[in-house]
Amino acid sequence: MTLGLVLHLVVWHAYHGAEESAFEHATLAFETANPGVSVELVAVPFGAYSYKLEAAIPHGNGPDLFVGKSNGLQEWIDRGLIDAIDAEVDPSQFVSGTLPPLIHHQRLYGVPLAFKSVALFYRRDRITKPPRTTDELVAIAEREHAADRCGLAYEAASLSYHAAWLHGFGGRILDDNNQPALDSAEAARSIEFVRMLANRHLIAEEATGQLVTDLFNRGECAMAISGPWFLSDIEADVRFGVASLPIVSSTGKPAAPLSEIEALMLPARSKTHAAALNFALFLSGKDAARLRALEGRQTVATAATWQLDEIKNDPVLTAFYDQFKLAVPMSQSRALQASWEPGQRALRRVLRGDVDAKRALAGAQAEIVATLRPAPPPAAKLPFAISLFALGLALLWWRQRAQPEVAFRSQPVAYVYLAPAAVAMGVLVFVPFVVGAAMSLFDYDGVHATFVGWGNFGNILRARDTSLFSPLSFYFALLVTALWTVANVALHVAIGVALALLLRSPLLRLRGVYRALLIVPWAVPNYITALIWKGLFHKQFGAINALLKVCHLEPISWFAHFWTAFAANLATNVWLGFPFMMVVTLGALSRIPRELEEAAALDGASAWMRLRHIVLPLIRPALLPAVLIGAVWTFNMFNVVFLVSGGEPDGSTDILVSQAYRWAFQRGHQYGYAAAYAVLIFLLLVAQTAFGRRMSQKQAT
Amino acid sequence: MKPSLAIRISIHALLLAACAITLYPVAWVVKTAVTPRQSFSPSPNPWPSTWSLSNFRDVLGTHQGATWLFGRQLLNSLLVSASVTIVGVVLACGAAYALSRFRFIGRDFSLRGFLLSQMFPGVVTAIPLYILLDHLQLLNSLAGLVLVYSTTAIPFCVFMLKGYFDSLPHELEEAVLLDGGTHFDAFFRVILPLSRPALAVTALFSFLTAWNEFILAATFMSRPASYTLPVAMQNYVGDFSTEWGHFAAGAVLVSLPVMLLFFALEKHLIGGLTEGAVKG
Amino acid sequence: MPLRLCESARSMATVTLDGVGKDHGKAQILGSLSFEIADGELLVLVGPSGCGKSTLLRCIAGLDELSRGRILVDGRDVTQAAPRDRDLAMVFQNYALYPHLTVRENLAFGLKMRKMPAAEIAQRVNDVALLLGLETLLERTPQKLSGGQCQRVAIGRALVRTPKAFLFDEPLSNLDAALRTQMRVELKRLHQRLGATMIYVTHDQVEAMTLADRIAVLRQGVLQQLGTPTELYERPNNLFVARFLGTPEINVVDGKELMQKQFMATLPDRAVKVGIRPESIHFVADGKPARVDLLEQLGWESLVHLDCDGVRLVARVSANAPTVGATVGFKIDDRALHYFDRDEKRL
Repeated sequence: MTLGLVLHLVVWHAYHGAEESAFEHATLAFETANPGVSVELVAVPFGAYSYKLEAAIPHGNGPDLFVGKSNGLQEWIDRGLIDAIDAEVDPSQFVSGTLPPLIHHQRLYGVPLAFKSVALFYRRDRITKPPRTTDELVAIAEREHAADRCGLAYEAASLSYHAAWLHGFGGRILDDNNQPALDSAEAARSIEFVRMLANRHLIAEEATGQLVTDLFNRGECAMAISGPWFLSDIEADVRFGVASLPIVSSTGKPAAPLSEIEALMLPARSKTHAAALNFALFLSGKDAARLRALEGRQTVATAATWQLDEIKNDPVLTAFYDQFKLAVPMSQSRALQASWEPGQRALRRVLRGDVDAKRALAGAQAEIVATLRPAPPPAAKLPFAISLFALGLALLWWRQRAQPEVAFRSQPVAYVYLAPAAVAMGVLVFVPFVVGAAMSLFDYDGVHATFVGWGNFGNILRARDTSLFSPLSFYFALLVTALWTVANVALHVAIGVALALLLRSPLLRLRGVYRALLIVPWAVPNYITALIWKGLFHKQFGAINALLKVCHLEPISWFAHFWTAFAANLATNVWLGFPFMMVVTLGALSRIPRELEEAAALDGASAWMRLRHIVLPLIRPALLPAVLIGAVWTFNMFNVVFLVSGGEPDGSTDILVSQAYRWAFQRGHQYGYAAAYAVLIFLLLVAQTAFGRRMSQKQAT
Repeated sequence: MKPSLAIRISIHALLLAACAITLYPVAWVVKTAVTPRQSFSPSPNPWPSTWSLSNFRDVLGTHQGATWLFGRQLLNSLLVSASVTIVGVVLACGAAYALSRFRFIGRDFSLRGFLLSQMFPGVVTAIPLYILLDHLQLLNSLAGLVLVYSTTAIPFCVFMLKGYFDSLPHELEEAVLLDGGTHFDAFFRVILPLSRPALAVTALFSFLTAWNEFILAATFMSRPASYTLPVAMQNYVGDFSTEWGHFAAGAVLVSLPVMLLFFALEKHLIGGLTEGAVKG
Repeated sequence: MPLRLCESARSMATVTLDGVGKDHGKAQILGSLSFEIADGELLVLVGPSGCGKSTLLRCIAGLDELSRGRILVDGRDVTQAAPRDRDLAMVFQNYALYPHLTVRENLAFGLKMRKMPAAEIAQRVNDVALLLGLETLLERTPQKLSGGQCQRVAIGRALVRTPKAFLFDEPLSNLDAALRTQMRVELKRLHQRLGATMIYVTHDQVEAMTLADRIAVLRQGVLQQLGTPTELYERPNNLFVARFLGTPEINVVDGKELMQKQFMATLPDRAVKVGIRPESIHFVADGKPARVDLLEQLGWESLVHLDCDGVRLVARVSANAPTVGATVGFKIDDRALHYFDRDEKRL
């Protein structure tokens, strides 16, 4: 730090709302106290947060400091993304239990800001005394149910919420050696308990965070399980209390939720560790913590803050404090990361009544082991090079055979026109493509790469570790993707052409208005569309089931069955995609001479025959390129599948590209494996397009 | 031939139904945006029960220090999208013209290259792209975003424009050549002015590509003042909870300009995508 | 006023083809063509579709490249020159008017390209408009013109530049019959007035015969005959040329059959086919008898289809047309017979 020069610190966080503004105010206080330092807070969207950290830090573009969570610690350390804190930190300064989750091999990797765990929220207008045991909880819920309300709302299918019951029944997610331990009898009993609650309609069905908020705010449920973040969602007029989760009556153990620590961490390669640490210590200091607790409603990790009267007398914050004492810290290991998805799947299956708890858990256990499986063995480079060379030769020979070179005179001026686009595409598309494709030959987690040759492809194509018909297998996803593409393109074309035919007559009144309204879906960003449609398909509160009820039909649990979940995805994507086909068809229709149809009409052809034999064949050439490119887009339509069904049920509606995403980002950063998926997707699309071309040429001749 | 009354009524009925289905989800977003709460309404009725502009006020009023963030981010979005439109259309025009009119070595390869570039999933290329931009010193700059978005938009634009150029008679350029012009004269003075509908559609598409993207923008940009609007909107979506009201208000604000552009260019859209034949 | 245009157009301009040929892949489109179009001459390239006449024109214009041979304009080798440097103008079959420009801008385009001063451009455009009767159309765009008007503008666009030579690529084929005849006359008159070198491609032999100073008949890329319309009509080099020119088509009869059926006494050596122009068949009372099969009345003349012992002939007579089914006597004018050998060459 040079005197007179202002030191600039960049701090990344994913806070929003009250937490963000409290964080900003605390930072302002730091800047006032330290005139030589300016701090820039960067709110990174949560969806891009870890991705951005992982991309930026290894290349020295990371922040000076960032807010991270304890449960990703081991992976970040393994990948060399964060540095240990070298300075002395006084443990007594922090709430006990907030430091150990940040320690790895005796070294501290973060300055704790806050602890987070779920607790029981209850509406004071319904419940005067929160339940202390599960029996009491059930009794209250029964009473509420009798009054046609729902007793308890929480994300029952999420393993991170369920962990509280799991611990209460004596089970656990990982054993002492951080190996998955989900297939225990205790775990089965905990799930049976939740199933009992669901069967007796004591908990909200298919609850999402959104739904829990809504039910609680409207008083349709008396209790909710959620974390401190829920506080900002509760409306001002709702009187509520927070209490520790009840004791499980059958075991006498408390339902202990998982807890994690939010901490300021030092990215590797940053050169401002000292100043950054200074800021971190300030933020975790008494005054800043008080601000964060009072304004941001954070459950801060600073011990002294909890001695303040204004905090001590805050029933909500102290309730979380008490709950934290009972909570089980989340493991730092990557085995925990790998447990969420299979655990959630098992919970859903049991709650749906598909299988019993034991079998569901055994399945989940196997899946966790499968995702954590060892990488393919390192491969020798020479045999690989030979096989690659042979492959190249074969490809060359095949191309040579397929296309005899036609002699023509080259027009060099063409390169002048083509060059700018070609160079841009070459650098920004082709280079990343080659790098991405090359990644498929490595076992790569973002930092460490081991050459494995065709190993990843071998594992994918042999469907190792999973059965051929499991939703995790490549072939299953391929089948779903093929179905997805065909169904979408068929419906896009059918609806697009049908609407274009309706809109065709120039005499039609309001033609322009209809046309304009019908292309609206094209203009809405598709991630927004996807989120809306997911809401529309909700079992209890979605508009579609409401319509079914109006028609006296049974409401459908859309994401519980493959076909209905698939249909929900399909409906969303069809909504998104038909305007494009409609517009292309309208253009093609406007080019058909009227005389042709009139001649056919004079020949006695019916309207249907005219459509079938005159109109459709004539618009085919214009539709074909649109269909080809539409098929490519649909094949890789990640947003809809990921955001609407999210792969539900059991990952069966995942298409290849969303599987690739999960391998890259949700199953322990197996980039190499994901890249091999991407290469296979690419090859499949090349084949599909070539096939489509050939078919259309054949039909044309 | 004017269709009978019954047929006309049924055509209108079908179209009205289609419009209702099309607009329902949109109405839903508007409802969430004008409802002064942060949760999703569970009622199927798309008509808002309360009207309030508070969500819009919050979204529009974001500040960082003295900087009016929303304004800054709107400006960024406009700058990036406008530049992408220009860069994308200019590059695509040239490439499409070369592919439509000239025979040259590598033509087939380029034509396929543009199509193939649509086929490799972005999941895997994003990290190499990050490294690349880092090397090119284009991280955290709007110029970097413009380049990346342009290359995303170019292939589709090339296909659309090539199709349109293909439908223009070659004699037009030959006439220019004989009139004493060069290929460049033919391109700039005759082909481009004639392709206005296709250019409009291409421009719209490029604009849309840049306007709606947020993952790459969030990854490449590291200053709230250099974020684009969709990134700012994504900030309302959190790990555990989402500020739906703000998000919906943001979505309306983000979609509105595009919607207006669509309406304005709607006529061209139909002609530009397919129709190329010009009398003359 | 238009005189100025005419005078400036009168620069010496010959177009010479020297062994010109073009291949597409392995297929030969143009053989080896060598001939010269004289200054001020209107040469018509004629032949059935696909004979290579349009390709030849495009090669002369510089729009297509030659595979071999040279093209000289005014003695200067332009084989490698770009179209713009050849100083030729072309009128396209579909007119190729710039749809986004007005008639005035269309006419001025080529002059602007050549950086001519604005005043002179305006002068020339007006001159040409006057010459072609386009004065009232100058501010319209091509979409608002009729086919004939488009054609006139296309011709005007060529004229205004006063190029060394004009190239016409089937310019009248998109017009209706009446307009076509009218435009044909106008073109002929224009050529007479300007005396400019013109190369005119058509597949219509009537156009060829009426317009041309000389006609070049092409077949599959090979020159069949080059000469004045009269030469070609009266002394066709081969059966193809004989058949191609003249309406109705020349009667072609097998030589042996004629001998057998005693149409004539002698036949030159090697003569295999005999061509008889319809107008060289005369009706005489004591002639060979034939049955009238069909009658085409054209008003001032009639085409009589005869069946004589199985040989079918068409005769052109100007008066006294017989009735269908009647038997008439006829005689063939010996001097007007065309004899062709086994290779369909003229004897």
